[in-house]
Amino acid sequence: MNTIQKKIWMLAGIVIVMMFAIWLALTFYNQKMQDQYNDILQRYLQMNEVTTSSQQTVTNLNDHLSNPTARSATTLASSQQSLQDAQSSLLELRNAENEFSLTNYSNMIESFTETVERSVAFSEQGENDTAASEFTEANRMSVYISEMTLSIFNSELRTYERFYRDIIRQSQELNTMGILLLSLTSVLLLLFTYLFSLSITKPVHQLTKAANELAKGRFDQPIRVNSNDEISFLAKTFDHMRVNINKLILEIQQKAQVESELQESQLLLQQSQMRHLQSQINPHFLFNTLNTLSKKAYLDGAEDTSDLLVSVAGLLRYNLKRLDHTVTLEEEAHVLTQYMDIQKARFSDRLTFHIDLDPSTLVYQMPSLTLQPLIENAVIHGIEPKEDEGEIWFRIKDEGHYIRIEIEDNGQGMDGDKIEQLLKGGITPQEGQATGIGFANVAKRLQLFYGRDNVVEIESLPHVGTKIILKLPKVMEVESYV
Amino acid sequence: MRRKVIFVLCSLCAVLGFFTILSVNKVLNSEWELPSAVSSDQERQRIVLITQELDTPFWKLVGEGAANQAQKEDIGFEIWGSYGKNQEDFLKQVEIALHSKVDGVIVQGNDTDEFQQLARIKAASYGIPIITVANDVPVEKSLRKTYVGSDHYAAGKLLMGQLLEDMGESGEIVLLGDGNLEYSEQLRLNGMEDQLEQYPGIQSIYIESGSSDETAADAAQNALNQHPNVDAFILLDIRQARVVMQEISSRTELDPFYLYSFDDGSDASALLTEGKLDAIIEQSPEEMGEKSVEMMMKWLRNEVVPLDSKGYVTDIRIVEGKDELP
Repeated sequence: MNTIQKKIWMLAGIVIVMMFAIWLALTFYNQKMQDQYNDILQRYLQMNEVTTSSQQTVTNLNDHLSNPTARSATTLASSQQSLQDAQSSLLELRNAENEFSLTNYSNMIESFTETVERSVAFSEQGENDTAASEFTEANRMSVYISEMTLSIFNSELRTYERFYRDIIRQSQELNTMGILLLSLTSVLLLLFTYLFSLSITKPVHQLTKAANELAKGRFDQPIRVNSNDEISFLAKTFDHMRVNINKLILEIQQKAQVESELQESQLLLQQSQMRHLQSQINPHFLFNTLNTLSKKAYLDGAEDTSDLLVSVAGLLRYNLKRLDHTVTLEEEAHVLTQYMDIQKARFSDRLTFHIDLDPSTLVYQMPSLTLQPLIENAVIHGIEPKEDEGEIWFRIKDEGHYIRIEIEDNGQGMDGDKIEQLLKGGITPQEGQATGIGFANVAKRLQLFYGRDNVVEIESLPHVGTKIILKLPKVMEVESYV
Repeated sequence: MRRKVIFVLCSLCAVLGFFTILSVNKVLNSEWELPSAVSSDQERQRIVLITQELDTPFWKLVGEGAANQAQKEDIGFEIWGSYGKNQEDFLKQVEIALHSKVDGVIVQGNDTDEFQQLARIKAASYGIPIITVANDVPVEKSLRKTYVGSDHYAAGKLLMGQLLEDMGESGEIVLLGDGNLEYSEQLRLNGMEDQLEQYPGIQSIYIESGSSDETAADAAQNALNQHPNVDAFILLDIRQARVVMQEISSRTELDPFYLYSFDDGSDASALLTEGKLDAIIEQSPEEMGEKSVEMMMKWLRNEVVPLDSKGYVTDIRIVEGKDELP
């Protein structure tokens, strides 16, 4: 991760390296030029040294010849030595253009030295005339040397003039380059600094915007920051916080919903219990009476009536006991058949009841008193208003992962609005029903029991019929669900 | 805003970068041209050509020939000398060359005591070989190794032959020459005089013309005054030709006179093409230059030892007036 500190270091590093490189290059070139100047100047100095020391030698020779002492001999020797030193350094100055003249020059110095030595030797042997003529010769040669020095100076100047111009041009170009480099560096620095500041301020800006959004209560927008430094870390943490808050809010909302649903179902329960109590006016007495009536009817030979009464009694007992229990599908279907027996007795031929059960499904559990209210609805709304024959179909099918229960009538049917109303519990059960449990109650209980919403479906067309479909998950054993 | 700023900065960077690169390139590529160094252990042999007449085309050609040959031989070569027969300067140059211990001196022979002194004593003491070129100094006087140049005696004979052919076997000839004749001029004179011996009908008069233009003009006047019947002029020194001809033409027509000279001066080709000179002896200066350097190198490399002290003769030919010089 690139930290902001690292970025700052990098920027400073680039600046320092650039400045250092420029400084180094300029210094290098300056040094190079200075060396060259020095070299050239050195050449002139060396040549000048030759002239000076040759003249010095002539003077010393003159002194020595006129007054030969050990001291004058030493002086002469030292001046000769310096001349020879100068001569030997001359060889280094040779180049293609002055090779000829410099070799001549060097040889001339050699000849001069020889002449001087000869002169001294003759003088020591007492041949003063010869010594004097050699001295004259040496003197003349010294003049030649001076002249030669000048002419070599001249040619050197010619040779190096071009070079001087080159150096001057180069230094001018170096100046231009320096200015250009300086401005380039400045602009580059500006650019880098700008980009650098952007890389810091932009994420901060984005973060501020995101914080504002959060402050306004919008927790659903993810926080995105295009950066890879500490601010991005901050943004990530911030986003994490946002997600957590969002989750918490959702949880609270869910809890509230569950609570309200619970309250609702409790209310329903209380309601049904109230009805239960109302209809509890000595139910055992009623139940016993019905049994007695059944026996009486049987003894009187009215077997149909007796059966009917047994059914009514069974239904009554089922009604009284099983509201808050789960039952098997088989029990539920049994109650249903008893109820239909009673209704068949009531409508005789006007009602035809078709039943179609898949036996494998009968073992599964479901809330009690769910099918009976539905079929009662079918009877009340499907058969009662009709003058001709009504038919009711009851089917249970195994659809693999769920059980499909259909209750269909060919009554007057409903339109869309009414279906909607029914599902929302807007229609209260009429008086005179067996259980007084409405459709909405059934639907609600099924939803609570299975913990899902799409359990009940209604298909209906006016004047054709109504079909209620229950899609029940397969549940084997549930102790209690309230 | 942000994009604009970045764009402006980037384009500035690009422009400046471009110019900076150009400038850096310029700085890096402009190397200073120093004369190339020479390795000190490999010393080339040095030969100097010294002449008194650096200014004449003749000696320029000699110099060119010698320089070409020197380049072929890959040796150090320089032409030194004086302008306009400056004796003192010339001798000084020779002395400097000797003191400088050059490997060989090719010199325009100078028939003076000082020159002979230098050539005999100094050159010998330094052990430097001397070759005379174009103008010779007798070997017994100069101890020169050899001579490269025209056979002046033959040249004199050749010119006289041409004159006889042009003029016929009778007439009066004026020979104009310096009182202090060069050895080569003396040889020419000898050649001409020897040629004339067989022709008694021709009378030749030698008149000293001195060394300057004024004296030459006076000499021409004298010749015309004292010998009104003169038919031909022979100028030993071609540098006096223009002055002499001016003198003659100031008094009379130039055409009837036969004018002859030897080519070693500046005016020869111009005068020839103008038709004022009837004929000159043309020498081969370039050949002299080449040959002299070649012989010097042969001597230095011990290829030909000893050199022929009589000299190596280069080509001469007669060129008549109105003929173009090559």
